[in-house]
Amino acid sequence: MFRLQGSKVLAVDLTGDAVKAKNGSMVAYDGQMSFKKLSGGGEGLRGMVTRRLTGEQMTVMEVKGHGTCWFADRAAEINLVTLRGDRLYVESSNFLAADAGLRTGTEFTGLRGASQGNGLFTTTVEGHGQAAVMSDGPAVVLRVSAQYPLTVDPGAYVAHQGNLRQSFQSGVTFRTLMGEGGGEAFQIRFEGDGLVYVQPSERNTIAGDV
Amino acid sequence: MSTVWDPATLPADDNVDAYTFCVELTGSQWFLQKGKMTAYYGTIEFNGIGHGRLDRLVRTSFHSPLHASDWVVAEGSGKMLLADRAFDVNSYDLEEGNLTIRSGNLLAFQPSLALKQSIVPGFLTLIGTGKFVAASNGPVVFMEPPLRVDPQALVGWADCPSPCHHYDHGYMTGLLGGLRALTGLGGASGEEHQFEFVGAGTVLLQSSEALMPEQPTGAAPQQPGVPGGGAPGPQGAGPGTPRLPGQLGDLQRRFGL
Repeated sequence: MFRLQGSKVLAVDLTGDAVKAKNGSMVAYDGQMSFKKLSGGGEGLRGMVTRRLTGEQMTVMEVKGHGTCWFADRAAEINLVTLRGDRLYVESSNFLAADAGLRTGTEFTGLRGASQGNGLFTTTVEGHGQAAVMSDGPAVVLRVSAQYPLTVDPGAYVAHQGNLRQSFQSGVTFRTLMGEGGGEAFQIRFEGDGLVYVQPSERNTIAGDV
Repeated sequence: MSTVWDPATLPADDNVDAYTFCVELTGSQWFLQKGKMTAYYGTIEFNGIGHGRLDRLVRTSFHSPLHASDWVVAEGSGKMLLADRAFDVNSYDLEEGNLTIRSGNLLAFQPSLALKQSIVPGFLTLIGTGKFVAASNGPVVFMEPPLRVDPQALVGWADCPSPCHHYDHGYMTGLLGGLRALTGLGGASGEEHQFEFVGAGTVLLQSSEALMPEQPTGAAPQQPGVPGGGAPGPQGAGPGTPRLPGQLGDLQRRFGL
């Protein structure tokens, strides 16, 4: 069972079951725990090769035992996500932990990934259970529905879940080249049905100053 | 599980949480610093200022043409989220008032306010009626003058109390004081220099001494008498007479010789 202790520490109560967590993110535990590094994120040989090839590196450990284990990483804010058979897309650098029953994998994101400065691939988490996602500052969860499409700054995007189509918008115009750009030259537009997690801070992206 | 927001539940011109602010646009315009928009619903256009169509708006509410390239105008209808490096953000209302703020702290403002460069270098002044959004490192506290504040904690001041430097002279002058200030030997507290405010008004302080990165405010005109303008006064504000051999100049003054 995942719960937050404060906003920057994740506590997981284990009764013989297991969680996947970012390697080295354990800060304390109570009870009996075993920590095992999962080569390739427990995605098998194929997953391992995919991650190596795509550069979407994620070192994950499996924590198993009885008791409570606490996780934290560089005082980042932690957001809990509940999955009910749907799929969560998250950058591997923002992934903290997930129930061991959830499947993780990699997916091609195309230009969106490139615009975020995170590479062309993203991590997917799928199944029934809970996951924990990190952000710089508490993430705002925004609902996207048919009548309310959402546009997000690539640097502030953290994760999304549900059935969403994303398209890449470029506002680069003649004026950008003249040094009079709108400052928001690249944007991701989400349409469909789902949730988008946006952090109150922007990563440095190639489009950061355009 | 945190709250899920959609356009109907997002607040209009108010904070979503301590770090994110939501602006509602209904065909209206807002000025914002480049790159502070994190997400928006609706149709909003972001235009760099300084070209044809927005010329009139810039003339009436933007008086710092030299750093206009750091600002954009958001225009359209919808709801827009603003945030800045996970710092605290807050909105403030001015009513026929004036407020001077450190340039790095100002995020966005309504065009009904006029933005001008302050005479104090590195600060901007907002004049008029309207709302603006400012970021700070930790929550902002409001204080009434007379008051002395630490330079790093100062965010801004409203209704014009007179800002000036204050030094703890008893501690700083004399031979020993000079040695202390120069070398730190004998215990400098690091608080010998403050900003002093007197008069009626409000002073805004952030609850930490971590400064926000400065934003360029644009250069002041190169004229005599303009602080930060870079031109010396007509009589030459620099050292008036050439230094004689054996004179220590500034050091001499510092050590009270």
